[in-house]
Amino acid sequence: MRRNRLYLILCVVLAASYGWASWSLTHTQDRYDNFTPCVFKYVTGIPCPSCGITRSVVNIARGNFINAVLINPLGFIAAAIMIVFPLWLLYDVTLKKDTLYKHYNKFENFLKVKWVAIPLVILVLVNWGWNIYKDL
Amino acid sequence: MDLEKSFNPKSNDSLKADLYLMTNAKYFQGHHINYIRERLLSIDDSKWPLIFAAEFKDPSNIQLVSLFAGAWGIDRFMIGDTGVGVGKLLTCGGFGIWTIIDWFAIQDATKQKNMEKLQQFI
Repeated sequence: MRRNRLYLILCVVLAASYGWASWSLTHTQDRYDNFTPCVFKYVTGIPCPSCGITRSVVNIARGNFINAVLINPLGFIAAAIMIVFPLWLLYDVTLKKDTLYKHYNKFENFLKVKWVAIPLVILVLVNWGWNIYKDL
Repeated sequence: MDLEKSFNPKSNDSLKADLYLMTNAKYFQGHHINYIRERLLSIDDSKWPLIFAAEFKDPSNIQLVSLFAGAWGIDRFMIGDTGVGVGKLLTCGGFGIWTIIDWFAIQDATKQKNMEKLQQFI
């Protein structure tokens, strides 16, 4: 993937994430009973691996870190990305550098190492099992 | 065959290149085929074993994976777009929108990744 394409995708995803998170923050919790953007959950009724990340991020934004972990620990990764990446993007775009792009490529290669990928896949699967058990 | 080769060493190369493209054309985008053929005709003979050994992802298989498991980014992980895969996984397939975009875009993305792989050899 080229640098500009990556940055464009990141911008769109970050904008959507912030829009979605701020909409979730300003609305009450009970909407989760009747609205979810996840097609998979609509169809099967089973929560998917990333289910609850929005609730987790909302809890982090409100300072309820323990609640956030209990809902979905992946929320912390999402929150970290949402805080760090806009600043990093801004840094790269204004100074016309490609540090984010280089680190992204390094990170991709790091994830392809077998001994990194397998534990991570297992962690995601365990977390998914926990999601189903909690019935998010 | 030997006789022909001794007269025209180039013909063997073009035979190899055409054979290669006949079996592997489905892995690449149409507008790359001509370029690949030209490159194959000009490469050194020692590179052929590497090129024949290179394995590519079948766009139709990835399309199926995308239809059924695209919401978790499995399609992107399979073609080696790990970063995008993580993004899709964390956002539940980009709120479902990205999943649907990828149903239509994943074949081209796969072919592009195959081309990047082939380009290491030619």
